[in-house]
Amino acid sequence: MTEVLVKVGFLAIAALNGAIIFTIMDVKGASWMQRRPGPLHVGLRGFIFPLAEILKFVQKEDIIPTEVDRPVFKWAPAYVMVSCVALFAVVPMSPTLVVADLELGVFFALAISSLGTIGVLTAGWSSANKYSLMGGLRAAGQLIAYELPLILAVVGVVIQAETMSLVGIVEKQIEWGVPFVVGGQIVGFLIFMVAATAEMMRVPFDMPIGESELTMGFMTEYSGIRFLIFYISEYMNMFILCAIASTLFLGGYHVPLLPTEWVNFYGPVVLLTKTAILGFILVAIRWSQPRFREDQLQNLAWKILIPASLVNILVTAVMKVGF
Amino acid sequence: MVNALDPQNMNSFSEASVSVEIETEDMTLNIGPQHPSTHGVLRLVAKVDGEKVHDVKPVLGYMHRGYEKLAEVRSYPQITTLVNRIDWVAGFSNEIPFIAGAERLMEIEVPERAKHIRLILTEMARISSHFVFNGAYALEVGALTPIFYAMEDRERVLDLIESVTGGRFHPNFNRIGGVKPAAGAGPTSKKNIQDLPAGFYRDTKVAMEKVIQAADQFQNLIGGNEVFKKRTKNVGVLTAETAEAYGVSGPILRASGVKSDLRTQTDYLPYDQFDYDIPVGENGDCYDRWDVRVKEMVESAKIVLQAIDSMPSGPLQAKVPKVIKVPQGRTYVRAENPKGEMGYYIVSDGGLGPYRLKVRTASFSNVSILPIMLEGALLPDLIAIMGSLDFVLGDVDR
Amino acid sequence: MEEFFNNIKESFKEATLEFETINIKIDSTEWIDVHKKLRDEFNLKFFSWLSAIDWDNEVSVGEAPKESVSPSFEIITCLSDLDNTNLVTVSTSISKSEPNINSLIDVYAGANWHEREAYEMFGINFENHPNLEKLYLPDGYEGNPMLKSFELISREVKPWPGDVDVEGMPEESESDGSVDG
Repeated sequence: MTEVLVKVGFLAIAALNGAIIFTIMDVKGASWMQRRPGPLHVGLRGFIFPLAEILKFVQKEDIIPTEVDRPVFKWAPAYVMVSCVALFAVVPMSPTLVVADLELGVFFALAISSLGTIGVLTAGWSSANKYSLMGGLRAAGQLIAYELPLILAVVGVVIQAETMSLVGIVEKQIEWGVPFVVGGQIVGFLIFMVAATAEMMRVPFDMPIGESELTMGFMTEYSGIRFLIFYISEYMNMFILCAIASTLFLGGYHVPLLPTEWVNFYGPVVLLTKTAILGFILVAIRWSQPRFREDQLQNLAWKILIPASLVNILVTAVMKVGF
Repeated sequence: MVNALDPQNMNSFSEASVSVEIETEDMTLNIGPQHPSTHGVLRLVAKVDGEKVHDVKPVLGYMHRGYEKLAEVRSYPQITTLVNRIDWVAGFSNEIPFIAGAERLMEIEVPERAKHIRLILTEMARISSHFVFNGAYALEVGALTPIFYAMEDRERVLDLIESVTGGRFHPNFNRIGGVKPAAGAGPTSKKNIQDLPAGFYRDTKVAMEKVIQAADQFQNLIGGNEVFKKRTKNVGVLTAETAEAYGVSGPILRASGVKSDLRTQTDYLPYDQFDYDIPVGENGDCYDRWDVRVKEMVESAKIVLQAIDSMPSGPLQAKVPKVIKVPQGRTYVRAENPKGEMGYYIVSDGGLGPYRLKVRTASFSNVSILPIMLEGALLPDLIAIMGSLDFVLGDVDR
Repeated sequence: MEEFFNNIKESFKEATLEFETINIKIDSTEWIDVHKKLRDEFNLKFFSWLSAIDWDNEVSVGEAPKESVSPSFEIITCLSDLDNTNLVTVSTSISKSEPNINSLIDVYAGANWHEREAYEMFGINFENHPNLEKLYLPDGYEGNPMLKSFELISREVKPWPGDVDVEGMPEESESDGSVDG
């Protein structure tokens, strides 16, 4: 029982810290690209900015409109957040530093990652607001369209690694000497990152929020602490999907040439560094790109990403059998 | 088994018939008056079928201030203050056609120097208006960064306007017969009235070079962006015929391929002394409307640079009577404002104020094509099309 | 411009050219036909605006006309051609007791909102208009604000002080202008 509590506590803290690191990175990236002084110079060179942000949201009134479906409306943010935290359980920071090394780790991760969108859909539905509803429905459409390339991109990795355990996948990459992104899964990696960006609803795929179209999408009616939970979940989700991408494609906690005996010490640092690099790319994309249109988003998924990922699987399988 | 498709069984299987043919009810979506992308308080009531929009009905009047009525109880110099606030993004250019109309009726010849100062400030107002459009339009299609750059660059231009007129948005700088002495020009005496502040020429040259650079940057960073092109090319195509019938003017009309610019066609300001191009679009889509405005910024900057070099000396103000009474008559003066044709129809009865002042604003006519352009558009396109019309609600509602 | 004016003069005898604007006064019965003719024969395709003037001797705002006028509505449209160099205003008079006139929508689609504005501001009835309803004013609003008889309440409470321009004008501008040069 204690072990479970410790593990859950670790998960929550790790995911929260990851989210805060990514929040800092995002606002600092934004202010760097937009020449905004706030998060770059104010208050310990801008590093206490997230704290100010959190305090601001906490002290705000938590408004619940009269017409909403109260229980659903209240619990939707928690649902989104819990699904993000749970996702982190299977990410290994070293062969032993992992909350749950599941046999079907990949399967678990992909299944849980789609749960968050259901939270988004319920938030949109229960808000009794047409903009929220449209945001929720867009999120659902996005989930269906991008879950498929996400899974299919991972299938290539699974074929190559011959296992679905995330630890196993990293070990396979150590055995090979090069991460999978170099060892034949470059297309899979790109598809995974595009689909993951759509899953976490970031620019250029942020239609469910689309503040210039749907005011704030599914979050329109939320305020105060509940809005904060959505806000943190977004970064948590981004952090964890980047961590999974690093694990699957970039060799996870390992870098070549470092002694494997010390992996428990450098593993988390290495993983965090890789995650942060991926995160930075997402930040750079977010602050430099416009938003796609809803139909263009669907076209991209169904007409380009899914066929490409199928071809990727085929090629991987042929290589696996042939050589 | 009962056949649910058989019309006779339809009534008892009313639920089953739903699965046979899905007839969804259209949702009425109320966009605005408080919506981030409606440039103020425009309200659109639209029917949405999923993402598709049809039967768009603009609802106006949230910003209606009744300037035409107010003008009837004010004297001519007082009206300048009112008309400043019509299109507040380019406050200076609102004054020009009104003042020009009053001067035309009074048969006052405005000194060349005053005309040049008017022209420079009008072009600066155009540049600042197009900066706002550029930033806001990128924001509307989802790019969050350009607005910060646009606002920063606009600030330089506004500082210049402020240094001359004392006001950033509502200069109230024109007087019938000329312009007033500049705000930053130091102490004035009756013998020596100074019009432009020290260092104005130098600062303007720097600022205009920056404007040309910024426009170039916009062309590369926004115009060259694939997602932006995908969002705007072939979206919201407006043909020249429709545009003309609806009185759509300005950059929107030029983007549809009509080379029409009141700066060259009328003589309210001495534009004929300068050398500049009139950018014209080809397809009349959102991208062209954006492109025309960015190119116009460069042309305006060129005009300002030329006007600075060829600034004539002389008085600022023609001789006008102490109490301004406009002789009986009527005239319509139109000007090429950043948003299109703006004009004032002044009906004077020889009194202190006009008997009737009709204000023709560009945005009013430009917005009136929204129901046609938005028919069958997707919701994200609705925002892209609306943004590309670049209207200001003060200009629509007056 | 001169040539264009002469062409117009052939069709409309009373046309006048003033301040580079051609003014045509017509009877309200020919309203539609004249506009059709101007659009098709004279290529005036750009519809600029439509508005009205309330001519009345007894006014509650502003100043009454110096010379007595016969109370009527004057309706004005402003048209220009493709290159925007020729400017034409067409005006007609209708009686205040029966303020009816045909809608121009079939000729110029853009007349729609302008007519709605004139309808709510002056109470002019545009026949055959598809949705003649208020444009700016709220639904329950009573009265037509732009009528000269419509009182401006604030002005009743406190008369405007500024009949005379309070700011002194620079009288003798002898300066040669800038300090910067």
